[in-house]
Amino acid sequence: MILVESLVKTFGSFKAVDDVSLEVPAGEIHGFLGPNGAGKTTTICMIAGLLKPTAGRVAIDGHDLAREPEAAKKALGFIPDRPFLYEKLTAAEFLRFHGGLYGMEAAAVEARAHELLELFELLGWRDELVESFSHGMKQRLVMCAAFLHRPRAVLVDEPMVGLDPRGARLIKGIFRVMSRKGVAVLMSTHTLEVAEEMCDRISIIQEGRIIARGTVSELHALAGTDDPQLTPVFLKLTGGSALQEIEL
Amino acid sequence: MTQAFPWLLLPVFWSARNRARRREKGDGLRAGLFGGLGLGVAAAIFAIVFWLTWQLLDYEELGDYLVRLGLGWLFLTFLSFVAFSAVVSALSTFFLSEDLRLLLAAPVPSERLFHSRFARTVGQSAWMVVAFLLPVLLAIGLARCAPTAYYFLAVATVLPFVVIPSALGAMVTLGLVSVFPARRARDVLMLMGLLFAVAIVLLLRFIRPERLLSVQSLPDVTAFFATLQSPVTPFLPSFWAGESLFLALRGQVDLLHLGALWTTALALTVLARAAYGRQYFAAWSKAQEARKARFTRLSLLDSLVLRLPLSRPGRALLVKDVKVFLRDTTQWSQLLLLLALALVYVYNFRVLDLDRIPYMSRVIKNAYAFVNLAMAAFVTSAVAVRFVFPAVSAEGPAFWIVRTAPVRMSSFLWSKLWTGLVPILVLAETLTVASNQLLGVSPFLKLLGAGAIALMTVALVGLACGMGARHPRFGAENLTQVAGSYGGVAFMILAVLYILVTVALLAWPASVFLWHEYRGLPIAPRRQAWMALALVAAVALGLFTFWSSMRRGVRALEELG
Repeated sequence: MILVESLVKTFGSFKAVDDVSLEVPAGEIHGFLGPNGAGKTTTICMIAGLLKPTAGRVAIDGHDLAREPEAAKKALGFIPDRPFLYEKLTAAEFLRFHGGLYGMEAAAVEARAHELLELFELLGWRDELVESFSHGMKQRLVMCAAFLHRPRAVLVDEPMVGLDPRGARLIKGIFRVMSRKGVAVLMSTHTLEVAEEMCDRISIIQEGRIIARGTVSELHALAGTDDPQLTPVFLKLTGGSALQEIEL
Repeated sequence: MTQAFPWLLLPVFWSARNRARRREKGDGLRAGLFGGLGLGVAAAIFAIVFWLTWQLLDYEELGDYLVRLGLGWLFLTFLSFVAFSAVVSALSTFFLSEDLRLLLAAPVPSERLFHSRFARTVGQSAWMVVAFLLPVLLAIGLARCAPTAYYFLAVATVLPFVVIPSALGAMVTLGLVSVFPARRARDVLMLMGLLFAVAIVLLLRFIRPERLLSVQSLPDVTAFFATLQSPVTPFLPSFWAGESLFLALRGQVDLLHLGALWTTALALTVLARAAYGRQYFAAWSKAQEARKARFTRLSLLDSLVLRLPLSRPGRALLVKDVKVFLRDTTQWSQLLLLLALALVYVYNFRVLDLDRIPYMSRVIKNAYAFVNLAMAAFVTSAVAVRFVFPAVSAEGPAFWIVRTAPVRMSSFLWSKLWTGLVPILVLAETLTVASNQLLGVSPFLKLLGAGAIALMTVALVGLACGMGARHPRFGAENLTQVAGSYGGVAFMILAVLYILVTVALLAWPASVFLWHEYRGLPIAPRRQAWMALALVAAVALGLFTFWSSMRRGVRALEELG
């Protein structure tokens, strides 16, 4: 459903993403892990159509993003890490606007918006300006928008940032339901517990290159650790285990 | 031990220094243009004030009286200006600045925080006044051959003079924020400021100052100056500043008024510090509360747009843009100023008395029709740089929503174009048709003017839209900054060039036609061909400007990232 082939992105002489390839089939939740500055967000932005790749190809639901950008984007829902929205629109107006951009019928938008606002516990705020929302509420509104047009694939950059435990549980539940319905989810995260708990497969990126890929158990085997947690595996694979004693 | 209060001002200087070091494309051009413009204005102010003061030297006592009165009035105007400006600046420096959270969480004593923020408030609200006073006071001093002490006394007068209204303004802001939420207070203030500006513009124009230049109205001049004095004046800092400087011109030190200025400035600063010491934290905490705002639903707009023959994304973009614009006080309120300027524009043509020169009136009226066309086009480009050029940048950090949606960048940019073009076309046509009507130009020129301004508006709005897409500033704090950016300046230069070329291409054949018509002479076929060519060139230039700008704008948006 999400296909990434030999993606490269350079900024001047700096290669932020170097020959990254990925495939997320329908119904899979794929984790995308890596240390800060590894190239996760750059890759996600290229898949979302926000950054032009230097080389490589992205396809969503069989539509090449460069050749058929509208068709590819129609099949995708995107949830960025920072929920920048139009502050002077209400939640309902924002969803109406979003539905319009995706070519949805007005009546269908109203019904779906009501359903999603209720699901994300924002129904009481539907007619309030976004500027009065907290960070977590904005994040939940972005998720409403991402699911509004019933996408075939969802791209998520740091889904749990700014969410309270209740919100985080809600999101995890929703992603599971979506994946059972055949939606492909590519999720970039720093929260290893979330990745461990939710992802069918995980790709680890470092210095712009994919250094490991597989299920949680396959990654354990690859790292050669007995520890049941994903953190030591991550640290070993990314070379970040040599922690020094910090005096506080 | 924590550092003294100037330490808290360092980030401002460091940021300015870093901005100066990190030069962006077009910085040199912008600095040259704005710097040159500023120097030109300062030189003009200096020349005018020097000439006036020089002329007044011939009138001895009356001249002295007028210089004294003029200084008092100048300072009175600036007193109100700085006070109002300080109310707005204090709102930003004390309550809305992003760095306040950091500073309030740090162990910074409240007095130091007050002093640093107050210094910023004074600087922000008074720099324009000081920049204006510099050539004025310099010109007066040089014209009257003032002693060196005058210049030192000028500094010693202006400094406490700007502190007084700033302290008052800061205290008014504290009071306002204690009553209203900070963001609501900002909207109220913006609106008040704009209405104030509109009232000043209309008042200044409708009193018809040009009447004072005519010989017949000489008795009015003395009556005019007589009204400038009032019994309250001697108790105002503007009077003290004027008196202090007037005596300094004669080489005397006016200790009474200078002392009054300094003691009042210090007393008000201490008072403001005490008020902020007591009330600031409570007011700041209140300013952080996100309240459910009251706003207009504009549901009529939704139903109106549904009737328009637009695609679904087109409708969604139009509704969003109009709602965001109308709900942002800082945006729509500028339309009031625009309306006032349009009124003044048309009014100017109403009071223009060209019939005083009857044998030339027909020629001059027709020539004015082209001046009018150029002026209306300049107004159009000024409106376009403020409202259309920043349209793409107005998406700000929320632009990801459109970019990740299945919407072509061409549809997006065309939506921005239509949103700006329709109201600007109505404005430009109204200005041109109304002023040509008031001028009483020939029917042929009325028709040509209406057609030409339509073509020029389309070209200018297209140019603004396309260039706005090629030079977006999504991180700008406000849209005025976008209009003043490199791209905005480049747009204005191109717009002026376009207007001059188009008016020349239209004026030549039109004047040839009118000249021959007036004399009842036929136009030679060869000349007719040239005239037709000029008209075709004007239309082609307009269409080319529009299409090429829009096409390059779309391409730039597609290439983003």
